[in-house]
Amino acid sequence: MKFFIQLVAIIFIAFILELFLPWWCIAMASFAGGYALKSRFNFLAGFLGIGLLWLAKAGLIDATGSSPLAEQVATIFSLNKTLLYLATVLIGGLVGGFASMSGATLKKAKR
Amino acid sequence: MKNIRFFASFFITLILIYLLNNSWPIGGNRIPPLGKFLDPFHGFWQNIEPKNYTGPEALTIQGLNNPVTIVYDSLLIPHIFADNDEDLYLAQGYVTATHRLWQMEFQTHAAAGRLSEVLGEGPNGAILDLDRGQRRAGLGYAANHAVEAMIRDSTIRMVAEKYTEGINAYIATLHYKNLPIEYKLLDYSPENWSTLKCAYLLKRMAFTLNSGDKDIEMTNALKLFGKETLDLLYPDREPATDPIVDNAGNWKFNPINLDSVPLALPDELIKINKLPGADPTTGSNNWAVSGSKTATGSPILCGDPHLNLSLPSIWFAIQLTAPGVNVMGASLPGSPAIIIGFNDSVAWSVTNAQRDLIDWFKITYQDSGKNKYRLDDQWVDTKKVVEEFKIRGKETLYDTVIYTHWGPVPYDENYHAENELKSYAFRWITHDGTEELKTFFQLNRAKNHSDYMKAVDYYGAPAQNFAFASVSGDIAMRIQGKYPVRRKEEGKFVLDGSRSSNGWQAFIPNEQNIMYKNPERGFVSSANQYPADSTYPYYITATSYEAYRNRRINQVLRETNNITVQDMIKLQGDNYNLKAAESLPMFIAMLNPATLNEEEKKALDILKSWDYFNHAGSEGASYYEAWWDNLMPLIWDEMQHDKIVLQTPTTYNTIKLMKEQPDLSFFDVQATDEKETAREVVQQSFSKGVQDILKWKADHQSNSPLWADYKDSYMGHLLRLQPFSIHVKHGGNHDIVNAHSRTHGPSWRMVASLEKTGVKTWAVYPGGQSGNPGSYYYNNLLDQWTADQLYPMVFVNTPDEMKTKSLYSTTFNPNSK
Repeated sequence: MKFFIQLVAIIFIAFILELFLPWWCIAMASFAGGYALKSRFNFLAGFLGIGLLWLAKAGLIDATGSSPLAEQVATIFSLNKTLLYLATVLIGGLVGGFASMSGATLKKAKR
Repeated sequence: MKNIRFFASFFITLILIYLLNNSWPIGGNRIPPLGKFLDPFHGFWQNIEPKNYTGPEALTIQGLNNPVTIVYDSLLIPHIFADNDEDLYLAQGYVTATHRLWQMEFQTHAAAGRLSEVLGEGPNGAILDLDRGQRRAGLGYAANHAVEAMIRDSTIRMVAEKYTEGINAYIATLHYKNLPIEYKLLDYSPENWSTLKCAYLLKRMAFTLNSGDKDIEMTNALKLFGKETLDLLYPDREPATDPIVDNAGNWKFNPINLDSVPLALPDELIKINKLPGADPTTGSNNWAVSGSKTATGSPILCGDPHLNLSLPSIWFAIQLTAPGVNVMGASLPGSPAIIIGFNDSVAWSVTNAQRDLIDWFKITYQDSGKNKYRLDDQWVDTKKVVEEFKIRGKETLYDTVIYTHWGPVPYDENYHAENELKSYAFRWITHDGTEELKTFFQLNRAKNHSDYMKAVDYYGAPAQNFAFASVSGDIAMRIQGKYPVRRKEEGKFVLDGSRSSNGWQAFIPNEQNIMYKNPERGFVSSANQYPADSTYPYYITATSYEAYRNRRINQVLRETNNITVQDMIKLQGDNYNLKAAESLPMFIAMLNPATLNEEEKKALDILKSWDYFNHAGSEGASYYEAWWDNLMPLIWDEMQHDKIVLQTPTTYNTIKLMKEQPDLSFFDVQATDEKETAREVVQQSFSKGVQDILKWKADHQSNSPLWADYKDSYMGHLLRLQPFSIHVKHGGNHDIVNAHSRTHGPSWRMVASLEKTGVKTWAVYPGGQSGNPGSYYYNNLLDQWTADQLYPMVFVNTPDEMKTKSLYSTTFNPNSK
């Protein structure tokens, strides 16, 4: 349960911060989620939180888009669209994961 | 222990962010900052435009006097309604930048020789080499002169400054999130616009259209082949053309006469690895038909400029409305005003005027320090300009270019030349500051023929054929540019740069330029052919003249009466291959049928039954082209040298020589021991052509080499990114009215009917209004263009008339301070 609250909080904070700050704000959101709502799976919470948020946002843009740009960008990097999505999720997820782990371990260290 | 875990994970987070926030060169390519780029809230995903996208309803823009209304029609063509000229051009700048900013900046970077700043030096230094070429040709020297000319005229200055202000107002609104995708891919940001950039853009167009010359090639040919052969291979004038202005015996003015001392012909071989100039297949069509020949009784004007078709599209369609002006047509992103278009009284279109506007002057330096050179029996100082190249990912390069009385010396021991003892200075009309923007500003407001004449008076370079028609019933053609008065043969060969009298002594006065109004035949037309009949008193030379499109257009216009807009649209898309009609029967007659194999016999049957139309589905067109493509190199193998540039004679002259002198020594293939004549090279190239088609069939697993598939036209994105580029299946070819070759074609098509009840216009271009590959409007016009069909243009007087036709509208409000 704690994990799910943490996960949802990270998604929510990251979503709000993304409206105002550059991409690295996902690390701030995950760090805060890791620190304030520490669970048993802190890395996973950050990884899934940001990964899912980015997946959902990218998917929404792509589904309502008027052009095959995602496919074309994938081709530029010698990927296909699935792999491009995977790269998006992975890159957001890794930063989110390490950041929430940092938050959680900081809290532990302070105790 | 607990601390270590925190520091480790925190450190990894920071490293990740750093790595993903920067771009890295990997294996010769640069990968964008992946975190930034893939973040769907800011990165490239944001460039995917939603379906039914509409822009903002209102914006506040600094620098406006009054509110401006912009209404977009269903093709995303903006219609701008402003209260005054200042606001009009500011809004044009803002709106154009909104859709085309990356392209505008990239093209001016290209003109300024600054691509290596964003792209690096390129494979084998190719991009740096291009950059150096642009600087050494003096594009910056030319653009600075143009800015000086702009500043001298208060109107043009206002137009360019307001347009610039509009672009910069748009740039100021940008964040990473809404940057064009190319900036994100290459990881850089736009810099501020300037009037100098407008000048660069126009000079770049001059480079595209007017940078062809043959002086060095002709000098080499003269040395290798002698004068008699030179005149045979490269005649000043080919008998085929139907000149743009046929006014025989009616040139009633006193021409400027220069001394009649013939120029000394040079005697040398020039070893320069010359950069390619203007592409000879770049051409254009325009014509205007008088009311006496049309169904409505009103004139019709048509225009289609042919350029290297690239994406984002070359032109940006727009309507500009303010008190005193209501004009619509094609604008060049990066230049204010409309370049080709119509208003409520007149319409105009341009084609490139073929004329030699470049000379090369041999320079004699005092010593290897190159500080002084010989001019009129004195040693005169050179000017050394140091060009700085801030190459991305490498150290800055400094390159010294020498300037003389004549202009820059592009090639020397540091750049594309073999022999430092010989240097040639480059004199190009485009180096001069002229007032082209004034021409367009006034043409946009022209009411009649006399306004058109006054406007065109300001026009210098690149020389263009201005076709004109008015609601009041006039049609006209004017071949306008700043033309040096030339002595016979002057400009064909390199010149001695030690005498200033070898330079341009005078320019042809505007009123003595080639032009006419309401000719008896009832139409005017130009297609880059020879400009005038043989009685025109000035000597004219050029790299080459068009020989086929012009005759086909004139033939159709002569034969057609009661002309409708549909007839004109059909003529723009006309696929008749006059060149094939004039050469294929001779080729076939030269073949020896006894030697043909099965495949060749089949090919011959297809060719014999071909109707000479390069329709998309024609097979004969493919066989003819494959044959021709093998024939030319086989005949002109003499022109292929490692170090010496020579020019291949024209298509028209080649066919003429085959007919008239089949035993000419040039038909002999140098690589073989046998002595070939035209007959043998025709036979050999036929076999090779059939083999090429067989190979094509195998490669494409297809049994029918349809022309559109075989030609495989291609519109490349400016960055040569394959996924943003498009293959187009279309008929036509160079030398055909529908002039779409593999890479070049009609970049804008317009038909305007100048009816008294209101001007009606149809237009289309390949691509679309948006420069964003993630937009539906990136290439939404392409299918209509490929079908050789045009869209009716929405041309109105007030925003209210747009109500039922609009996609969305935006109000630009002044900053209420």
